[in-house]
Amino acid sequence: MFRKRNHRQIPELNTTSTADISFMLLIFFLVTSSMDTDKGLMRQMAPPPLEHEQPMDVQKDLVMRVAIDADNQLLCDDEVVTPQQLTERVVALASVNREDHVIAVEADPASTYETYFLMQDAIVGAYHTLRSQYTLKHYGRDYTRCTIDERSAANDYYPQRISESLAEEGGRP
Amino acid sequence: MKPMQSMFRSSARDKGVPSLNMASMPDLIFTVLFFFMIVTHMRSDEVKVRLQVPQGTEVQKLANRPSVVNVYVGQLDGQWQVQVNGDVVSPEDITARIEQIRKRMAPENAEHLTISFRADRKAPMRVINQVKRTLQRSYALRINYSATEIKK
Repeated sequence: MFRKRNHRQIPELNTTSTADISFMLLIFFLVTSSMDTDKGLMRQMAPPPLEHEQPMDVQKDLVMRVAIDADNQLLCDDEVVTPQQLTERVVALASVNREDHVIAVEADPASTYETYFLMQDAIVGAYHTLRSQYTLKHYGRDYTRCTIDERSAANDYYPQRISESLAEEGGRP
Repeated sequence: MKPMQSMFRSSARDKGVPSLNMASMPDLIFTVLFFFMIVTHMRSDEVKVRLQVPQGTEVQKLANRPSVVNVYVGQLDGQWQVQVNGDVVSPEDITARIEQIRKRMAPENAEHLTISFRADRKAPMRVINQVKRTLQRSYALRINYSATEIKK
């Protein structure tokens, strides 16, 4: 057997363990890293109010008051609604008065974040529906498939007009 | 045909079962390794508060990681606590903490500073509004309310 191998000049390197080493590296990376992509509802808050700033006057009939009471009930103009009904109402309001409507949002300090999130989700969903209608009509495709320019055109056509009051605990409006 | 036969005969005589060529195995595993290294990112901070994010239908992907600040609202030892990036902070210190993070960022990232807001479903709005007011005061206005996606 030795004599047979003699005419081979370079001895072979044993690479059997390379697979094991790279397997260990792979498992290390699988454990320490996470693949979950962050997903969420993107919102832009208003800048902090200035001291001398006067609250803007808006016509009463253009304002929709959305509130959450202490029992986690969704109220739209003092009526109890479901998130689906809220979406329909926002669609109805925003399609009539595209640029003048205001949605005033308020949440009771005792309500939970989940209800608040569902409300935000319903309102954003309404605007999404309207913008999709716009892009379907003008560009022939859904809002999510549009380019950035087309999206900003739709965003300008149906602006989100949400006013949020972060009431202090003392009950300041 | 002759050399083949001779080779076969000699190997058959040496070992009963022919060995499988494993030379390409490390290459394969390295490919998988590199794939994982590229698509994943390291877990940046340990979440100290207990929380479960809500579910929504209108969620979008959060892009541009370097400009993201994580804010967690959840329970820790039975109390609602706020955690900014790695550490649990008291609500009064959030502004200072955001300022500190903003200073450490590159200017172009600080401009697009986004808050990834992860709050527990059962968190009361009292806590949430307090955090939001402090964020508003520190001009961190882009907020991404983190949620898991559900189909309509």
